[in-house]
Amino acid sequence: MSLDRFRKLFRAVATDVHFWIPLCVLAGGLLLLDKLR
Amino acid sequence: MNSPSSNVQTAASAVPSRVPATRLRSLQTLGIFCGFAAGAWLGGAEAPIKLVNPNISPITVSFVMVLGVFLARWSVPAFIRGTSHVRADVHQAPHLVVWAVLAGCMWAVANTLTIYAIRNVGLSIAFPLWNSNSLLGILWGVLLFNELHYAGWRRWLGVLGGALCMFGGATLLAIASSHQAAPGKATLGIAAALGAGILWGTMYIPYRKAYLTGMNPLSFITFFTVGELVTMSVLAIAYRGATPLWHELASARPVLFWLMLGGFVWVIGDLFQQYATKYVGISRGIPLSNTNQLWGLLWGVLVFHELQGGSRTVYMQVAGGSILMALGAVAIALSSAAEREHSSWQEAADREGQRYNVENEYVRAGMEGRAHGSVSNSRTALDWVLILGTTAMFVALATIARLPTMEIGMTWAVALTVTMLVLMGACGVALWRTTRFR
Repeated sequence: MSLDRFRKLFRAVATDVHFWIPLCVLAGGLLLLDKLR
Repeated sequence: MNSPSSNVQTAASAVPSRVPATRLRSLQTLGIFCGFAAGAWLGGAEAPIKLVNPNISPITVSFVMVLGVFLARWSVPAFIRGTSHVRADVHQAPHLVVWAVLAGCMWAVANTLTIYAIRNVGLSIAFPLWNSNSLLGILWGVLLFNELHYAGWRRWLGVLGGALCMFGGATLLAIASSHQAAPGKATLGIAAALGAGILWGTMYIPYRKAYLTGMNPLSFITFFTVGELVTMSVLAIAYRGATPLWHELASARPVLFWLMLGGFVWVIGDLFQQYATKYVGISRGIPLSNTNQLWGLLWGVLVFHELQGGSRTVYMQVAGGSILMALGAVAIALSSAAEREHSSWQEAADREGQRYNVENEYVRAGMEGRAHGSVSNSRTALDWVLILGTTAMFVALATIARLPTMEIGMTWAVALTVTMLVLMGACGVALWRTTRFR
């Protein structure tokens, strides 16, 4: 993959709210798991 | 943040679906069939795990299962279509690798949370709480991917009512099948179960994202499992420590086969679930595959003689819960998307295609389950290495596997296995005829 295509891809993912919803939920899950240990 | 869909939107009521009505009907029927097959195989995956000594740490059990899942997720696609299709998919839509890995990470964390949930509050409370993932899935489907838009009140009632009905049924079944579970640290257990439900419900955002932009489920799962294995390895090493984990794995050699077999069976179920999500969306696909609880119960009662000598109340709960789940599943199956709703799915797909610069024809071909471009169907050396390597690994583990001394209803085990195989064969043929596994 060219650098330009990679940059565009990175920007599209980083500005997509659909990416941040699961990522925040994942972070919450990891925090919860840490509490449960 | 997310670009508003308005820039590509036209009133769906005015735009007919671009998929011919007959094709749309066959894809919807196929998706629903896949949802039911997923339930059978995901439920069946619990059977080999019941043969494992309960003294083995839950983290280790989960880790070995994920190893089996990893092998299956690479060898099954290599067997069905060859890995050249995976490369072609990644070339067309590389962003989907991010979604697949993210979904895999979420699955691993959710699965580990369920272990803590069962320990702390027992199955009766934990199972319905995490089964609420289907309700969250419906919410995400409606909010983010235009599912159930222009669906009409009957379909809304069918899907939402069906999911609620299944939730009620799941609650009854879980109460009935967990009369031995001892409640413990209630708040933490409930938090763990709810956390697992939220993670699994949200995990379907990446699923839907991938399938709206045309990715093949067989490609999605190969990257999904990378997230799964990496997360589960980190969790297992962090929680158990590398050396104790190794010792536990070495001492668990006689049961490694059963755990990895459980993982393999689970992958077949999940593959059908992926196709269901692709063709009927998450609002219908998830509740249908949640019928796995019914199949798990069938294995438990008929093969492992669970609930034997139970009270009349327990049997009433089982009967009531099963009927409720079946009715809910039927309601959802009868509420498949019509042409107008499908056209609003296409708007969501257009939005994704524009954002990620995916070729329009690739997106459309993916949604319609037809070919795009020419990719060689022949197997490469890598495919054969994956297929033969996985087979050899399972054969080697089978030779050292031991059956525990427990009463097993072999006749029922054979009958349920044959039923699962028949469902897999029928669904596989339907997938091949309709989409060539696209």
